[in-house]
Amino acid sequence: MASMGTPAVVMDNGTGLTKLGFAGNDSPSFIFPTAIATSTIAGKTSKSAAKTSFLASKRGLEDLDFFIGDEAINAANGANYSLSYPIKHGQVENWDHMERFWENSIFKYLRCEPEDHYFLLTEPPLNPPENRENTAEIMFESFNCAGLYIAVQAVLALAASWTSSKVKDRSLTGTVIDSGDGVTHVIPVAEGYVIGGAIKNIPLAGRDITLFIQSLLRDRGEPDTSLQTAEKIKQQFCYVCPDIVKEFSKFDQYPQEKFAQYIVEYTDKNKTNTVDVGYERFLAPEIFFNPEICSSDYLTPLPTVVDQVIQASPIDVRKKLYKNIVLSGGSTMFKDFGRRLQRDLKTLANERIELSERLSGVKSTGVDVQVISHKKQRNAVWFGGSLLAQTSEFKSYCYTKQDYDEYGPSIVRNFSLFSVP
Amino acid sequence: MLQIEQNNLLLEKTITELINSEDLKTVERLFTDFDFTTYHVSNLSDEKSLILVSIYVKCWNDLVKYGVESYLDSKYSKFSKFLTKTSQESGYDYSFNLDLSILKQESIEVQDELISELSNLKRNCIAAPFEQAFKRYDELAQAYANVDVYSEEVKQELSNESVLTINYRGMDESIYIKPSFDRVTVIFSTIFKDETDKIFGKVFLQEFVDARRRSVQTAPQVLYSHNEPPLDIKSSVNHHPNENQGFVTFVLFPRHLTKGDRRDNCISHIQFFRNYFHYHIKCAKAYMHSRMRFRVKEFLRVLNRAKPENLDEDGKVIENRKTASGRRFEIGRA
Amino acid sequence: MSQSLKPYLTAVRSSLTAAICLEDFSSQLVERHNRPEIEVDNTHTPELILNPMAIARNENEKVLIEPSINSVRVSIKIKQADEIEQILVHQFTRFLTSRAENFFILRRVPIKGYDISFLVTNFHTEQMLKDKLVDFIIEFMEEVDKEISEMKLFLNARARVIAEAYLTPFD
Repeated sequence: MASMGTPAVVMDNGTGLTKLGFAGNDSPSFIFPTAIATSTIAGKTSKSAAKTSFLASKRGLEDLDFFIGDEAINAANGANYSLSYPIKHGQVENWDHMERFWENSIFKYLRCEPEDHYFLLTEPPLNPPENRENTAEIMFESFNCAGLYIAVQAVLALAASWTSSKVKDRSLTGTVIDSGDGVTHVIPVAEGYVIGGAIKNIPLAGRDITLFIQSLLRDRGEPDTSLQTAEKIKQQFCYVCPDIVKEFSKFDQYPQEKFAQYIVEYTDKNKTNTVDVGYERFLAPEIFFNPEICSSDYLTPLPTVVDQVIQASPIDVRKKLYKNIVLSGGSTMFKDFGRRLQRDLKTLANERIELSERLSGVKSTGVDVQVISHKKQRNAVWFGGSLLAQTSEFKSYCYTKQDYDEYGPSIVRNFSLFSVP
Repeated sequence: MLQIEQNNLLLEKTITELINSEDLKTVERLFTDFDFTTYHVSNLSDEKSLILVSIYVKCWNDLVKYGVESYLDSKYSKFSKFLTKTSQESGYDYSFNLDLSILKQESIEVQDELISELSNLKRNCIAAPFEQAFKRYDELAQAYANVDVYSEEVKQELSNESVLTINYRGMDESIYIKPSFDRVTVIFSTIFKDETDKIFGKVFLQEFVDARRRSVQTAPQVLYSHNEPPLDIKSSVNHHPNENQGFVTFVLFPRHLTKGDRRDNCISHIQFFRNYFHYHIKCAKAYMHSRMRFRVKEFLRVLNRAKPENLDEDGKVIENRKTASGRRFEIGRA
Repeated sequence: MSQSLKPYLTAVRSSLTAAICLEDFSSQLVERHNRPEIEVDNTHTPELILNPMAIARNENEKVLIEPSINSVRVSIKIKQADEIEQILVHQFTRFLTSRAENFFILRRVPIKGYDISFLVTNFHTEQMLKDKLVDFIIEFMEEVDKEISEMKLFLNARARVIAEAYLTPFD
């Protein structure tokens, strides 16, 4: 092994969850909330210490007294810690907390000496370059990491889709539908560059589905209507149906097959509850396609948004964008989600083609709509990063500590795009 | 987090998950530990209940000289029912074969013990030379118990005692261990890649040197020399003068070498010195960053006061500020 | 505040107040350009440059004020007693200059022999209150010294705690 034979570290810090791991694995080693619990005593002193006295920093270990991830959530239940989420809307808001979050991720969870590893971090589309510089400043100056690559999440999600058998040409052009817990993004990418002007966000995502299930359970008066139960039902039972009306009648015709029961287990082993699972099985994911069933202020269905996004992109890439629609994130994991999206989108596209054919009298060559779902969808961004970072060329795309020392933080404003053999 | 943990959290987690998962899945995990250590956990052939756990340690060749294999054998022999040594996987140095089907039948205590011992695999690898050196110390202590150790011959003999060298991070950074009859000297050579690290490192090491005098009297003695290897190991260091190199010497006294838990603890603790030390340099730098961020914010606030149309300290818009006599500020006439 | 600091800062304050007396001034050499005269080669127009002044507290701490008709350059040399302070000052000034666009008047590169430079032009004085600008520079000088010494103290304190925390478990 060469001196730098160590696998690269891939860190995907999202608003809700952080995925950590080493390149070459097919799933992240750690997935935990991007949360940090800092000592409340430190919270007070760090301000006043910086301001006035050296006495406060005499013992001076407050900045090491914190927890991240699941441990943070636990610690925050106690009195002495307060919880905060350093990333808001995909972007780092609190750099002090983020720096310490990384510190703990690297030394405690991943156990690696950053001097020996290359790092691949992710960023949301439209991340300001200053944020990149701040990231580089932390990674290189505090941690002396050997090399750094910052990739756009949507691009990594595209790369992750190359594992699907449907993908043949491995291009970096496509539309990414990224739906996590908080927000759903529709992001067009052309040749590895995000088309910033055309991005659209939908304020419906995983959490809204869970809340919707919860409200249905409450309406029926089920014995357990906690958020955890709703979450479990969402993960285990929900699927996307081709047609709601038909699905309702199917439920009426074959109740044994369609209705299900979920047994809630408690920490107290003797106690269990049984919750009936009914129409929410297909109604919950339906909010993407018919938002009016749960939201009163957001009414555009997902396929329409995707169509709008592609129509807002430059005309010469639209065909490719229709042809390569890639799913990413946990809320796209419902069975037949991709199939339904493809069908609805195809209908929209065909209507438009018909209209233009009628108006212009010229025969169109047609548009090929293809939605790609694959096995790595849930952590697609991380997986794409892992794929990229294990290639032998990866290091040549990174900036090294030497580069940083020579040119300063502004060097990370541009990364060359990777092409894959 | 103040101390660096000794065990590998990820290895622990992986094995725990394997044991607790009800159906057998295929595993293929690759992860690392400090000092270029790499683990590989995978299925042996197609049998999903057989797990291959391999480790790569940078300084394996050095360790072999100091009996790492027999040490690991003795350490893990109690698990021989389900954990057996196999020929090492290519690219790795040492491999175990873990039979889940048997392990799952065992009691929780046995499982937990296995998990904790296995997650200390790297610690145990590096521990081998320490064990050997400490054993040598036991011998020497016995041999010289009733001898005038200040006589010239004895001094000569002792200084000829061979030094155990572990190039644990390649040729640049090594651990040297020299046993004697009343002490064991452990010397770390370390390198600072970064100018800031070098200076911070000096400050830290100075405190390591002083700590014994000031407060922790029972601690090992610490010496620090910059650039120049200490006399003890001069002969065994192939030294190229390097501005950024430093040598940290720990002198372990008999009280630290008491057999049993204390000796084990001493071994686990001292081998993580470099990781601990560099971790804290980085933490200090991170803290400096947060101080500087705070300071920048303060400066900006002061500077923004200079903008008359700007926000005041509470973030409220100041409109039409007037002097006492009711006149307005005129901008641009300053 | 030590004995010599106050007069030093007072001297800087009054010199700065006097020096920041700027007017809009178009370049005499390049048509329709307006450039900070102190920053450009003025061998042809020496009349635009005033005499620079240096105010020194000692050889390690000094301020250089270079006035011209439409811009003033203020350079500060921060006290650095040993190599720790040197590295801290270096880190701190680098941290500041990498955020220079937020600071309007901060120059990205200090002039030779100094640690940090500010460039105040007539455009700045048109948008900002001159006295407050001077206040800022004075406060900056005060705070930087304090910050550096606090950071140094922190570093020593941290090192001590860390060393003790490492050595204690041996026993």
